[in-house]
Amino acid sequence: MGLRAYVARRILQLIVTFWAFFTLLFVLFRMMPGDPTSMFIMDGMTPEQREQRIAELGLDQPLYVQYVEYARQLLTGDFGQSFIYRDPVIDIIVVRFMNTIVLMGTALVIAYLIGITFGAIMGWWRDSRFERGGIVVTLIARSSPEFWVGIVLLSVFAFWLGWFPSSGMRTTGGELGGGFVARYGSADFLRHLFLPALTGAIVYLATPTLLMRSTMLDVLNADFIEIKKAEGLPERTVLYKHAARNSILPIVTVMAIATGAAMGGSVVIETVFNWPGMGREMVNAVNNNDYPLAMAAFFLMGSVVIIMNFIADLTYVYLDPRVEYE
Amino acid sequence: MTLLDITELKTYYRADDGWVRATDDVSLSIDRGETVGLVGESGSGKTTLAKSIIRLLPDNAEVVDGSIDFDGTEVTELSNRELRKQIRWSEISMIPQNAMNGFDPVYTVGEQIVEVITYHEDTSKAEARERARTLFDDLGVDPDRVDDYPHQFSGGMAQRAMIALALALSPSLVLADEPTTALDVVIQDRILETIKELQEELNSAMIMITHDMSVVSETCDRIAVVYGGRIVEIADAETIIMNPRHPYTLGLRNAFPDISDDDQELISIPGTPPDLVDPDDGCRFAPRCPFAEEECWEVTPEPESYGDGHAVECHRADEIEHLQEEAGKKETWVEQDLGRSEEIEPSPPEEVELDD
Ligand code: SF4
Repeated sequence: MGLRAYVARRILQLIVTFWAFFTLLFVLFRMMPGDPTSMFIMDGMTPEQREQRIAELGLDQPLYVQYVEYARQLLTGDFGQSFIYRDPVIDIIVVRFMNTIVLMGTALVIAYLIGITFGAIMGWWRDSRFERGGIVVTLIARSSPEFWVGIVLLSVFAFWLGWFPSSGMRTTGGELGGGFVARYGSADFLRHLFLPALTGAIVYLATPTLLMRSTMLDVLNADFIEIKKAEGLPERTVLYKHAARNSILPIVTVMAIATGAAMGGSVVIETVFNWPGMGREMVNAVNNNDYPLAMAAFFLMGSVVIIMNFIADLTYVYLDPRVEYE
Repeated sequence: MTLLDITELKTYYRADDGWVRATDDVSLSIDRGETVGLVGESGSGKTTLAKSIIRLLPDNAEVVDGSIDFDGTEVTELSNRELRKQIRWSEISMIPQNAMNGFDPVYTVGEQIVEVITYHEDTSKAEARERARTLFDDLGVDPDRVDDYPHQFSGGMAQRAMIALALALSPSLVLADEPTTALDVVIQDRILETIKELQEELNSAMIMITHDMSVVSETCDRIAVVYGGRIVEIADAETIIMNPRHPYTLGLRNAFPDISDDDQELISIPGTPPDLVDPDDGCRFAPRCPFAEEECWEVTPEPESYGDGHAVECHRADEIEHLQEEAGKKETWVEQDLGRSEEIEPSPPEEVELDD
């Protein structure tokens, strides 16, 4: 089976998974504790207002009509109105989601770049002081609670040294640019981004480092590494072009899963740094019974997980010629 | 003309309880274009000997003494950089036991051949690729297959591709470590033939490492029999096959089928390879040797020359008729109490991982 057929089939699979996911979401939200209508009804409504509201929301329709309507809305990006903000959900959620992507994306990129390099060198210099020290550092990073890392960084860099701001995404009163670049590319924003992203990076660092190291140890035992050394190739070439290149394969899958999970935002980091991201928004939405907002948040996060897995599969095929497209 | 001259080489491995003498006082010299077989059981030190030549030893191994003179260059004294630039692959290449694992799975075979050619020579990628295709053709592989990944090759095909890689820079010496054991017999023979042809064409010398007497008898000019880290017998191939003097060689010969003799009975040598951690004096084969005498346990035999480059390390090598006759009988090799009469056998050897 050719590559093209494989990709086509994988896309089909993606669509089916997607459909299953959003149907599940529909069912879940209609199974929420209590009468679904009660969530939408404010206290002190007259029975007539109540009826009218239910009709407005389409909840008096048969289930399949509701389902079709639900599908239509999701596909057009219409998530309804937030009960709390009284604004369209889409406007609220997209901004939060971008904030999270920028924060977590930065953290992940740093964590995986450093982790992969660091892990590869640790495996290469097996039994060296570098490796032993590296393991200790990694394990410390891994077992430190997120909030603790955040608070330590805050105390040192924000309160003590005063190098970075302590909270939020931008200095109050600062101009809020319109475009994406103006919004996320400004020096002010980057200064705000630094500490929370670093916290995330430290928290995420352990997985790629340790995984990379252990795969390296396996790969270095392979016959071809000995041949590459015998070929007289420089150590750097053997390490990066051959050993690390082979060891990176399992990381791809792990990275996809981690990215999917990270896009839900981190409630802890967002709280410590007062970052307006998905994590906190979602907790708020659930606590306040903001049904449309919570639904949209779940939908977005689930979609990211599904898409990341899809990307991981394709990347894997690209990176490992041995994958059979069965 | 001598290409490689190894003198009194000692390559030891560090172990918890001392040095493992994987190669102990070995001298061997090889001429240009010559093929020498290193025969012995696994753990005999034959691979360690070969890997010492291109210094591809594990971290816990060390050449403690001796010299390796390769074409006028003392290999043991080269810096890593000199070793990589002057010796590795351009002068000495190797063919591993399992070719499939000898290639990096994520690059095509062609890419890997091109990589080594362009690193060592001032050649364009296109020219290097052309050379890879020509080599494939010479080896009886479709040249278009240079663009295939290693896993797309069959075992025999991969082995041919590996030979192409090994010969890509026309090295003066090829170290072949059991190059055909992973393959079935018919393919084995054909590949050995191909190796021979190309090797003669390039006038490359070769060291063929194997535990299989029949492989060396077909391909080698000379054969060195390795036991317990030492070359116990060395001679031209015919002498080793027809007229060996060392009991271990006689035993090895029994253990492999002779093509000319149909009803030959295969007899294996009882016992296991010796513990090489700081061994005592005496012949290392004595615990398994049916001919061991008192002297064998006390005095390490020195190489004795029997003319025409035939050297043997055995106290009883003079009694050749008797040894050869007895060694052909199965009773001789049954596991018996071979230990020294008055002394209890030393505790069983500790398992030490040798790189064979
Ligand atoms: S020296 Fe003695 S023990 Fe060693 S091989 Fe010869 S006869 Fe056997």
